[in-house]
Amino acid sequence: MATATLPKLGFKPSPYLVGAGALFLVALLYTIYLKVTLGHHGFNTTNYGVFWGLPIVAYDYFLLTSTGLTLLASLPLTLGLRQFDPIAKRCIWLALAALVGGVSILFLELAHPIRALWAAPLNFQTASPLFWKILCVGAYTIVLVLMGLAFARGAAPADIPRGLAVLATLLALAITLIAGSVYGMIVFRPFWYGGELPVAFLIEAFMGAIAFLVFFTYLIHGFAPAMVPERTRALFTGSLGALAAGAVFLHVLFVVTRTVTGLWSYGEGLQVWQYTVDQPLYWAALIGGGLVPLVIFAVPTLRAQPWLQILGSLLVAAGLLASRYEFVINGQLLPPFKGSWAASPLEYAPSQLEWMLVIVGVLLANTIYAALESWSSTKEA
Amino acid sequence: MERTVATASRRRFLQATGAGSALALGGPSLVPGEAGSGAVQAQPAAATKIVKNICHQCPARCGIDVYVTNGRVHAIYGTPDHPISNGKLCPKGPLGIYVLYDPDRWKGPMKRTNPKKGRNEDPKFVPISWDEALKTVADRLNALREKGESHRFAILYGRGWGASCAGLLGTFGKLYGSPNVPIGHSSMCSDGSIIAKKATDGNAGYNAHDYRHTNYILMFGCGFLDAFRPYNNNMQIWGYIRGEKSPKTRVTAVDVHVNTTLAAADRGLLIKPGTDGALALAIAHVILSEGLWERSFVGDFVDGVNRFKTGQTVDPATFEEKWVKGLVEWWNVELKDRTPAWAAKVTTLRERDILATAREFGTTRPAMAIMERGAHAHSNGIYNAMAIHTLNALVGSLFAEGGLMYQMPPPYGDLPANADDYMDDYAKNGPWKQYPRIDLKGHEDGYLLANNMMQEVGPNHLAGKPYKLDTIMFYLTNPIWTAPNGQIWEQALQDVFVIDTSPFPSETGHFADLILPDHTYLERMQDAPTYPFEGYPLTQLRVPAVKPLYDTKYFGDTLIEIGKRMKGPMGEYYKKLESAENVIRHLAKGFEKNPGDNGVDSFEKWVEKGVWYKKPYLWRQVRGEFFEWDGKGYNKPMTAEEVKAKLLKTPSGKFEIRSGLLEANADWIAAKTGRDKAKLMFPIWEEPKHPGGGDLYLVTPKQALHAEGRGHNIPMVIAHLQPVVGGRGEAFVEIHPETARQRGIKDKDWVKIRSSVGEIRVRCRLFEGTRPDTIVLPMEWGHWRAGRWSMAVPGGHSGECTVNQSDRITGQCNYYTTKVTVERA
Amino acid sequence: MTKWGMVIDLDKCTGCQACTTACAMENSRLPGESWQDVLFYHEGTYPNVKLSWLPRPCMQCENPSCVAVCPTKATWKTEDGVVLVDWDKCIGCKYCMIACPYGVRFYMDEKPVVQPDVREVFPGDGDRIWNPPYKMPDHLEDRKKGIGIQPPGVVSKCTFCYHKISKAPKGVADLDEDNPETREYTPACVRVCPPKARYFGDLDNPDSKVNQLIANKRGVRLKEETGNKPQVYYLSGGGAPVVPGERSQRRG
Repeated sequence: MATATLPKLGFKPSPYLVGAGALFLVALLYTIYLKVTLGHHGFNTTNYGVFWGLPIVAYDYFLLTSTGLTLLASLPLTLGLRQFDPIAKRCIWLALAALVGGVSILFLELAHPIRALWAAPLNFQTASPLFWKILCVGAYTIVLVLMGLAFARGAAPADIPRGLAVLATLLALAITLIAGSVYGMIVFRPFWYGGELPVAFLIEAFMGAIAFLVFFTYLIHGFAPAMVPERTRALFTGSLGALAAGAVFLHVLFVVTRTVTGLWSYGEGLQVWQYTVDQPLYWAALIGGGLVPLVIFAVPTLRAQPWLQILGSLLVAAGLLASRYEFVINGQLLPPFKGSWAASPLEYAPSQLEWMLVIVGVLLANTIYAALESWSSTKEA
Repeated sequence: MERTVATASRRRFLQATGAGSALALGGPSLVPGEAGSGAVQAQPAAATKIVKNICHQCPARCGIDVYVTNGRVHAIYGTPDHPISNGKLCPKGPLGIYVLYDPDRWKGPMKRTNPKKGRNEDPKFVPISWDEALKTVADRLNALREKGESHRFAILYGRGWGASCAGLLGTFGKLYGSPNVPIGHSSMCSDGSIIAKKATDGNAGYNAHDYRHTNYILMFGCGFLDAFRPYNNNMQIWGYIRGEKSPKTRVTAVDVHVNTTLAAADRGLLIKPGTDGALALAIAHVILSEGLWERSFVGDFVDGVNRFKTGQTVDPATFEEKWVKGLVEWWNVELKDRTPAWAAKVTTLRERDILATAREFGTTRPAMAIMERGAHAHSNGIYNAMAIHTLNALVGSLFAEGGLMYQMPPPYGDLPANADDYMDDYAKNGPWKQYPRIDLKGHEDGYLLANNMMQEVGPNHLAGKPYKLDTIMFYLTNPIWTAPNGQIWEQALQDVFVIDTSPFPSETGHFADLILPDHTYLERMQDAPTYPFEGYPLTQLRVPAVKPLYDTKYFGDTLIEIGKRMKGPMGEYYKKLESAENVIRHLAKGFEKNPGDNGVDSFEKWVEKGVWYKKPYLWRQVRGEFFEWDGKGYNKPMTAEEVKAKLLKTPSGKFEIRSGLLEANADWIAAKTGRDKAKLMFPIWEEPKHPGGGDLYLVTPKQALHAEGRGHNIPMVIAHLQPVVGGRGEAFVEIHPETARQRGIKDKDWVKIRSSVGEIRVRCRLFEGTRPDTIVLPMEWGHWRAGRWSMAVPGGHSGECTVNQSDRITGQCNYYTTKVTVERA
Repeated sequence: MTKWGMVIDLDKCTGCQACTTACAMENSRLPGESWQDVLFYHEGTYPNVKLSWLPRPCMQCENPSCVAVCPTKATWKTEDGVVLVDWDKCIGCKYCMIACPYGVRFYMDEKPVVQPDVREVFPGDGDRIWNPPYKMPDHLEDRKKGIGIQPPGVVSKCTFCYHKISKAPKGVADLDEDNPETREYTPACVRVCPPKARYFGDLDNPDSKVNQLIANKRGVRLKEETGNKPQVYYLSGGGAPVVPGERSQRRG
């Protein structure tokens, strides 16, 4: 893993790339096999159950992690805060990898993904948040690819064209906020409805981004903290760590205020909140994925420990996935207008095929990131 | 099952000579809907034609318009100018297309090659030709007759439709020489009400009704909005009497669980199973004691002073009866103590509800009391039914406007030959005459007064008493499944030659030696006089919408073809009949002198319109006087003799609360049931006997999506069958939540239902609308041999727990009376 | 301009589900693909149990959530007020299903409601997800309007039997099955209803029976708080909510 730091241009596949790539191919083949034989029967989403299941959750998770990472990269690239230069390249590469992973999950879930690419722009349904999301994600992909390739060819953060960076920032911001309004605009689902949803999504994206950055930085250096460049470590211990604490704090705040508001009211549809807090997963996400990493990143002595940084990142990433899962799924648990035909609340657990979709996405993201990292042997800066 | 090219052409040949219906091939003048019929109409697209037929999914016989485009049937709607359907259909009607295109249908005649019979034995059917099939049957029957054992041939039929199918069976039995041809299913149907009506007003039939003009309906155990026939028309009536009519008709419905009927009524009464008679008696008590009876019909105290007081007898001489017999005696021996307070204890209903119902019913005119199996499928069924029907006499609704009457038959023409001319000596005097029917109907060791006892055929044959059958043929009936405790039939059919004519695989067919599959109804030409409806004669026709999809044969033709192959004059008779279509053409000749209101006076017009009918019902009772229709109105007064001959066909010519029929058979009844000879001819209260050994009543009603046994393989039916408890794709037993909790049962648990005759597993739903002492499991699923969808519905069959107990007087099978235990599986 | 609307009289409706099955056969739907459905609710404890039911077609809202959220404008509203799905544009994202407050939309590629799967018994030809012998005639199907059997991977919903009503003479006030001149244009669910609890007509025509019924019998729209403004009105007498709140229902 840790090679000599002799600068050497050209592509050298790392064991990480080989491993991720191989697993990805195996998973992909198996998934395709399942999809061909089972079709959508292999999904546990049904007309009398939940419509959007684990794949949508994972897609959103990856997409918003990607936009969060781009926003994080905006600190140096768009706002010109040079002290954050060391993280710029990795953020963009992780953003690109997460984007591809997330979109691949969506493409495996959607019936007609290619059609979306022309049908959405040509029909221009401006009222639809999803329309804008497709448009922005399309543009965002192009921008990210350009930036990612630039870095891969050895560009320095300061070399990235300011215009491109600004565009990336705006698109990332737009996607994050729109993704929130996809849920937040649905007035008859009070579990989701609200203008604060885009803000909550933004905070979560940022929080997840830092977690991913920290974790993958350590991963790519073989989990040997000593191998991580000094400037980067200083950021983790210093401003980025503090930013992480701030983001986690705001996220926990949002969760708590939404929970308390939801539990207090007798409003129809809000009884899902009671169901939510009855689940162990909720508390695991709030405490394990929220309060514990908050402490880790808030207390300076704890924040300085590399292994605690890694642990904190993992907890944040896992907790965020759980939170997103609960958010998307629980918002659908009260079936509208099904009467006796559907149980209330609904029950849902992802099927094997749905899990495989997520695994494929994860492995693809890892493969792409590993490929980008392998592109240049220098892991400096 | 491979069909060869050779058999296909043989099929065409057979079609041309036998069942061949030129109409199916579309002679232009005979295909309705193409010739412009009248003024500007919204027409379906040019390539689409409409063929008249009758729905097959329940006995109501709604006329249907079958939409055929390019030889495919793709829609069914009610026939607009048909008096029963009026362009509407119940939920089963549109789904008839599935029946035609069911992939699990038999494709042609078959014979069994595996001599062993059993639930888990593969019959190993192999296809044979119709020639071979018919010859097999004929040889068998001829041989039996030659041996003098023709009584050992039985034909059992369920939903017989008309003169061209089930109507041919009686003659067959008469010419062949078997008392068991045919045995109808009425004892497994609703003979309880038929015999109760026979015992009281002399008419052995279901009532026709004038719902449109009634102002009160009191319903006992008949799912008026669930399955009562004619269901489609009931609902049309409902929309009118509850939504349009002034004044709005009031309804009280009595049942053992909350269903749409009870929910839509003004008052729903959740009664203890088997106690409807007690409720009816209490209502009668209130009507008499509060002076609410219809004096113009019933009669009155000579001095006009009401002496009906609770607990006190009345001198019969003080009352002058008009059209009822035995009112005061009834009061004295039975009714005087049957108060609402007493009935409340027996039925577990609230006294205030019984009183309110009685007063409403007694003060609203016209009012009618109707009932079916919920009330009489118990050991005390005859008396429950008589008590309820007597309420109609008390309020004077018999033959009145807004009341009940009976169905007039259609004026069919004569058959091509008279059967009496073809009876040989054997038929007239053969050894078969000394044998009773296998089901002991009409026999004092069996059921002396019953119309049929089909549920006894299996058990009697198994026991060899009175004898063993040799050959049984089934038409539109599947007794292994529909009989109570059908497991007995699985044993019984082991050693008898079984011929099944169903188009579909079934449990009984699984035990068949020969399969002679019928057409499905959209492929048949078949007549069907109306199920009791509004009294005026009405008969309708099925016209094939498409050519038969497979090598099947209409049952009427199968029977005629077998008949042709019988030796002696019997064969000649059937050769004269020629074919079922020829029979129908002869029936239609009766219309020439009796044209229908819609102009149908010939076979061709009957095909075009699909229905012949002639209004009105010819008689009416108005304030205690009877009148006959004179062409313009009910103006011709009827004498008492005429009333006795045509309407109140009892020994006395009156409504017999003191039943002459039962009184004439009092010795037999007393001997077999131990009843008191001083009371057994009146509607009395009797505690029902509940077999089974359990502590909860098992009730097995029909559902709106599936009334009779022919839709269980339809995926749409399976997806919608039990809407109240949300069964999409599966069947549930309803159980009260407290009853469940006491047994450690949670919602959607699998439970075991056990009685003395069997045990099944079903999933349960907790439902507050079910009586705590009752569980409700629709009798629809649990097929172990049927089409693929039917067999995939999880859960057992209620029949396997139902004890075979019958009302000793009516022969009615007590489907709803077994007591079972329930525990978590 | 015609604005098609439907009126359902809950006092007359007997909960038989004929509307559901007639729709299923007219439009060749799969089991469980209940474009028209009857929803049953009950509450209370023995012996005072209230059972109620609600026939539920697509509400054909004036402000349809589904049209607003569809990213490709596959869901669209015709000039005469009917919301349809263009199967050539639908990508199967199911956002419309998430957004519809009335649960009227279906994505049938998933697990079958009834086993064995009817689609395997009557397999489609790639262009349709199944192809039974009793399918509606080819010339009536229209992919751009979501009429007929759908291709794989798209959402389907009630079309108000657009293939019928679109052929009605212009300017007709009501489509009544009891009128021979309009019978063949009347939607299947309205046509079949035995108690005649359903009516269909032009909400923009002051002479129409549907407008008269809404006025005379206090027709209400459901889920007013969404602002979707359905074109299906329920006559329940009194305007009380028909569908009980999940939370407020009294259960045993």
